[in-house]
Amino acid sequence: MSAATQLYVITLLVYFFVDLMVCWGLDLQFGVAGVLNFAYIVFQAAGAYTTAVLTLGPSSGNGGFQHYVGGARLPFPLPLLAAMVVGVLLALFVGFIGLRRLRSDYQAMVMLVVSVIATAIADTQLNLVNGPAGLALVPKPLASSISLSPLGYGWLFVVFSGVVCVLVGWLIHRIVESPLGRTLRAIREDERAAAALGRNVNGSRLLVFVIGGAVAALSGGILVEFVGAWAPSGWLYPETFVLFTAIIVGGRANVFGVALGALLIPVGLQQAVEYIPIVNSPTVLASLEWIITGLVTITFLWVRPQGLLPERRRTVRSIDRAVRRRAVVIAAGTSESLGGGP
Amino acid sequence: MKGDLLVSAIGFGIVTASVLAVGAVGFTLQFSVTNILNLAFGSVMTIAGFTAYALNARGVNIWLCLLVAGLAGGVLSVALNAMLFAPLVRRGTKLFGMVIITISVALILDHLVQAIVGPSFFSYRVSAGRTMHLGAMVFTTTELITIGIAVVAMLALHVALKFTRFGKAMRAVATDPLLARACGIRTHRVVNLAWFLSGVLAGMAGVILFIDTATFSATTGTEFLVIIIAAAVLGGVGHAYGAMLGALVVGIVSEIAAALINPSLKEIAAFVLLVLVLLVRPRGILAEVAANKEVVA
Repeated sequence: MSAATQLYVITLLVYFFVDLMVCWGLDLQFGVAGVLNFAYIVFQAAGAYTTAVLTLGPSSGNGGFQHYVGGARLPFPLPLLAAMVVGVLLALFVGFIGLRRLRSDYQAMVMLVVSVIATAIADTQLNLVNGPAGLALVPKPLASSISLSPLGYGWLFVVFSGVVCVLVGWLIHRIVESPLGRTLRAIREDERAAAALGRNVNGSRLLVFVIGGAVAALSGGILVEFVGAWAPSGWLYPETFVLFTAIIVGGRANVFGVALGALLIPVGLQQAVEYIPIVNSPTVLASLEWIITGLVTITFLWVRPQGLLPERRRTVRSIDRAVRRRAVVIAAGTSESLGGGP
Repeated sequence: MKGDLLVSAIGFGIVTASVLAVGAVGFTLQFSVTNILNLAFGSVMTIAGFTAYALNARGVNIWLCLLVAGLAGGVLSVALNAMLFAPLVRRGTKLFGMVIITISVALILDHLVQAIVGPSFFSYRVSAGRTMHLGAMVFTTTELITIGIAVVAMLALHVALKFTRFGKAMRAVATDPLLARACGIRTHRVVNLAWFLSGVLAGMAGVILFIDTATFSATTGTEFLVIIIAAAVLGGVGHAYGAMLGALVVGIVSEIAAALINPSLKEIAAFVLLVLVLLVRPRGILAEVAANKEVVA
């Protein structure tokens, strides 16, 4: 592969892994728990800004053309961990305010407005995170200590983001299959029944909100370390819409479905549009991308709202079988410990 | 000095409130009847505004363009409902699904406009007219006409809702669609009328907004949509008179915040107001509609 092709593939893969993490996090909130978080992109942005600010060093550096709060030069994993902490704190803050028992479209409205407020604040408060120009020149992690060619470093970063992505995916899969996952699905289907059965509805929802927020923040940190820059124009509220489209197309509450959606929509669609030969103006291309994304969403909600890989139907039979299997094991174990026959 | 600043801010607030009122009432009218949170409202405003621009650039008087734009907005809204929203509701799409649909439509329409007109800014050919001073408040003739249009539109709507048969039918469907149907009201027609009126008001609001903001681009309408929704929800979701009140409050409060605290806070003030209202009293100040209704097509 030529160097240019390699660079293209590296960029594509890193973006895919980051988008995949983000989609899984949002799916945990929306697909499994039914929490309508239209401000999800804000958490990714918060993680990105935190990581950037903690790797850039004091704002007077680099000629002092960027104005932002904080500023430190922390070594490699610390900025990412700090990003996750910020994600958790922000999720707690937004969750306490926004996760009220509102009807679903009002909830969407509240979160959408939160997203708009966040971009407005980042844009207008120039000393917070350098306003509309955003942060730039974010150094790549461990670039000085690892002596590799730029392409070699790129592939290393792909492996790194891939490993983190797989870990996140495994974590989310474990949550979805766990009793917590069952609780979340129960809350999603019928909140009052779940509460009547003694489930902590608000606590579980806040927990998912926080986990999702941490995942988003981590993904933002990884992305900003790869790209090296971050500006408010990159995280406007329609970006969350793209993630929702990915989940709707792929299949909500299905880990592989969401992975498929993440491959098709944020990565696949964006790249496919670049290859349309008729259009050569970049602004028209960007508009075309959004138009196609909107059309895809509408088409899928019309034709196949459950997505390409729908949620696995968990029936009583499957639980029955599991219970019976465990009963046999217990019986066998008991007879052994009693040291005799049945 | 501060008092003068406050009063002039109130003056600006009244102009902003007029623009908001037309939009908020249009939004609320449709929402009260169909229960669909139509986030494509801003796009309808933008398209109507640019239709007016196309005519205005050829020399048509801006106020005539306003009427044409209103008509265009009405037709577009009815078409959207007939082709997209109604079929999806019949297929069983619920509240949140409809929000995603309207956002998709908004994105598609906005970017279509953007692809066609490009990212530049435009302005209408309309003279501002003489300036008049009412105490510390300053108004231009155009602004006064804008306020006048808003007042006339509100009055016309009030008369229509209270005294005509269709107005009463709309209020009936807004309160209880099933019961209205049982009483022999053709809900299908009422819904279409609601979309048409909402579209007309959206079109007019779009043109007044573009006149008020002097220069506009393809994204101006949708940017203003959130403030319109703030006004509509504040006043009372589904209550047209509440929307007028909400428009007044949001318009004046945001202008006062901009004048007294920080100009960049104008939009943020409106948004924070909306979030607070949605959380503290999601039914708004003058609420009439139950929060547990389903969508109507």
